[in-house]
Amino acid sequence: MKIRTIRYIIKDGMENISKNKLMSLAAISIVVASLTVFGIFYMMIINIEHNVMHLKEQPEMQVFCQADLDDIGIKIIENALTNNEGIKQVTIITKEQAFEKVKSWLGDDINILEGMDNSFLPISFIIKLYSPEDSEELIQELKQISGVDKVSYPQKTVEFISKFTGWIQLVSSFLIIVLLIVAVFIIANTIRLTVFSRRREISIMKYIGATDWFIRWPFIVEGVIIGILGAMLAFLISGYGYNALEVRFTRELAMTGTSIITLMELRSIGTRIISFYLALGCVVGAVGSVTSIRKYLKV
Amino acid sequence: MVKFTNVTKRYSNGTLALNKINISIAKGEFVFIVGQSGSGKTTLVKLILKEEDSTEGEIFVNGYGVTSMSRKEVPYLRRSLGVVFQDFRLLPDKTVYENVAFAMQITEALPKEIRRQVPMALALVGLSRKADMYPSQLSGGEQQRVALARAIVNNPVLLIADEPTGNLDPETAWEIMKLLTEINHRGTTVIIATHEKSIVDALKKRVIAIDKGTIVRDQQKGTYENEDKNYKIYN
Repeated sequence: MKIRTIRYIIKDGMENISKNKLMSLAAISIVVASLTVFGIFYMMIINIEHNVMHLKEQPEMQVFCQADLDDIGIKIIENALTNNEGIKQVTIITKEQAFEKVKSWLGDDINILEGMDNSFLPISFIIKLYSPEDSEELIQELKQISGVDKVSYPQKTVEFISKFTGWIQLVSSFLIIVLLIVAVFIIANTIRLTVFSRRREISIMKYIGATDWFIRWPFIVEGVIIGILGAMLAFLISGYGYNALEVRFTRELAMTGTSIITLMELRSIGTRIISFYLALGCVVGAVGSVTSIRKYLKV
Repeated sequence: MVKFTNVTKRYSNGTLALNKINISIAKGEFVFIVGQSGSGKTTLVKLILKEEDSTEGEIFVNGYGVTSMSRKEVPYLRRSLGVVFQDFRLLPDKTVYENVAFAMQITEALPKEIRRQVPMALALVGLSRKADMYPSQLSGGEQQRVALARAIVNNPVLLIADEPTGNLDPETAWEIMKLLTEINHRGTTVIIATHEKSIVDALKKRVIAIDKGTIVRDQQKGTYENEDKNYKIYN
């Protein structure tokens, strides 16, 4: 294809959009809506996976002492743990160590901790068990010890989440597919309007010897532009929303010092999401337009 | 140039539009295809343009084997011939110049070529001064002349006109016919499907008469109706 033909095709495709403003806007909105929903599910899935991986790396069980507990109280708890028959190994996490850990979680948001010292963080013990089957009883037992604030057992959560991740993936893939099909239909209809208003022109072009692709390309450009605009808007919306959520989560984490769920930073997943959006937007737009002009090319 | 061998066209609804037609048209000829509406002459034009596929037989147009042609080749067949229709078929939001230039644009012609050829075609049909007007600002005859300019701008070897004067008053119709004969004199083969008796009779060119899907007459220097019958009816 020659450059002047490409120029004609792009110009013509853009003219189609501006001639059909209202329908193009409707089509763009549908793309934005379906891609945003897609994005929400997608971000949910990658965060769940991220958290599951994170949790798997965690110690088997962690016993948190009350933050204001004195050294004697801590010693009592440590003794109780080391003497327990079900426990294989006990490691202490001091306030300093916990503070370092929080800092590393916060990354760039470290300024949240400004003016704070490590006193608000509890001392905790990481415990390795002999057999995970006894975990339920052990948790109850450990909670009875005075000075123990809470006992976390991430493995339990991992199992729980893992079971649900599969379901969430299944349901969201189904929803995403439905939404994308809807988007293809709406785009196809939008372009069908342009095609319909230009059906005479298309038949004239066919009579004077235009190839099918020469006729098809401007409509594909129209669809792809709709897809790309939709993808960019969807990214703005979902990116902004995600960022706000992520900031809140991180703040929460910093305040309580413990949280089993962490959100990945937008910066680390943004490229992946925008490229997904753009790819899907282009495909949806192109498929939508190709299906809508097929009928009118038979001259 | 155009050769039909035992061509039959039956539409999917069962209508037999053409029945075992044999036609041979040589380069440089000027041919009228006449017949009542529904006689099959429009089907004949559609077969030449590969707008319809023949049911049986062989068709050759400008060296293209039309019958066995793939969809992809059809645009190239059409570029080798010019077409003019009764309803002009101009693009309403393009100017006269742009309408004619468009036929060259789709062949990916060089802009330099387009700037050279389009004014020549417009000059030939006498519309140089109306190049920047839109079709809606022109009379029917002028619109048909734009269509003619568009049909010849790619220098086709064959020009096909389906009822080119059907929507025009007799005087304007004559102007179009004069242009068509002029184009023929420049070496282009011209095929005109029409039921305009006065024009066919006056020009005394080859006439192929179709009735109910068969060729009933193929006559050099012919008239619209068979001479004998003609006298019986009109005298």
